[in-house]
Amino acid sequence: MDARFVETLTPFLPFLHGETITEDTPLRTYGLDSMQAIELMFALEDSLGVSLPDEALVEETFATAGNLWAATRAAQGADAVTAGTESV
Amino acid sequence: MPETPGILPPGRDAREVLAGLAREGGFERLYPDGPAVRIDAVLLRRLLSAADARGPQGLVLALLVQLATALPLLAQTASTPVAEKALRAALEGQALLALAATDEQAGSDLAALATRVDLTVADGEDGAVVLDGTKRWVTSATTADHALVLARHRPGRHFTSFTWLLVPLGAPGVTVRPADTDLFAASGVGHLTFTRCRLDRGHLLGRPGRGLALFARNIAVERLASAAWGTELCRRVLSETAERLAGRTIDGTPLDRNPAVRQRLAECAVRVSALDALWHASHERITGERDATAAAVLKAASGATVEHVLSACAQLWGADGFTAGGIQQLRAEAALFGIGGGATEVVLDTVADRLVPLVEGLAA
Repeated sequence: MDARFVETLTPFLPFLHGETITEDTPLRTYGLDSMQAIELMFALEDSLGVSLPDEALVEETFATAGNLWAATRAAQGADAVTAGTESV
Repeated sequence: MPETPGILPPGRDAREVLAGLAREGGFERLYPDGPAVRIDAVLLRRLLSAADARGPQGLVLALLVQLATALPLLAQTASTPVAEKALRAALEGQALLALAATDEQAGSDLAALATRVDLTVADGEDGAVVLDGTKRWVTSATTADHALVLARHRPGRHFTSFTWLLVPLGAPGVTVRPADTDLFAASGVGHLTFTRCRLDRGHLLGRPGRGLALFARNIAVERLASAAWGTELCRRVLSETAERLAGRTIDGTPLDRNPAVRQRLAECAVRVSALDALWHASHERITGERDATAAAVLKAASGATVEHVLSACAQLWGADGFTAGGIQQLRAEAALFGIGGGATEVVLDTVADRLVPLVEGLAA
């Protein structure tokens, strides 16, 4: 998980209390409810310049930090491919 | 308090006013960067203030929903010919929109809503989606051309389970019933039932799974608009109440010189001033950054302020307040500020979620 991702995620986990975020960190346990997850999605999309694809818009994506990072990274790759295609 | 002339086009219902607004280029001024991007909150407040002065309150409600929420939401999601046509009509003042989020059973708990859209049919031969469910207390339900309907496409409370649809209110499978109420005249408030309502896939608004997220972004502006309306309503009622009390005497002394009356009016003025200050301090953050916490704070404050001011002023009107169309009716309608657009309990939950950063942000 890159630093920018972790930096964006951290404020949405009010019960983290200084613990290190790992790929296994359960987001709901650390305070991410459904409405907060919406704000987190927009924050990630804004800060990392990606758009989560339809298939990533499922509850499992927001279950752990690792799942969300994987979806974000995949979206970054997909967006880069799209941008490359469009520039041709 | 008379309506400021020239702000709001003529008309006693939302459809007339919106047609006039389009003719006068009002939409371009209201959405200077386009309706999908940003609304001019100060202009919106002036429009709502003029509508409040003209009345009835149902007119304000219908305009608020159209201008602050439904039209921007449609603009952000319209990507098919049918949705783009509806958007054009709305921007030409020729289409009235309803926003159908609140469900029959779930009320403000949108994550529990039961209205369901079956998207899997879209993979079949005719590319249709099928909608079932009931939405209650929908503004403009009986007068609108289309409803923007929030429905779930899969079970569960997670925010990714919901999708918006554009539903023509004359479509087969749609039943419209007026709400059983004497309040909110001209609002077109009613209930919508969808029974195996079959629509082609072009009626989907935005991507499946983004419905609740889009709602969260747009409801912030609706809450800002609601607080603007609440402030203007309080200001008008307070002014009219003070004027009435100044003209009534007991033993030759105007009522507004009675110390108890003066203090009660003053307390109302203090509360309205605080709400007005909060609105001005937060409107750019809400329209620009879609700050949900700021919108929730404002919504909670406006609900409490409107309830206090309307109750205090209604008491000061005495028995005359019960006249048809009088302040007691207005007071009943004003209870909406603690219920519509997210009940006070719901917005307080949002504030509680962000309590620490909110309080830290107040530091000098």
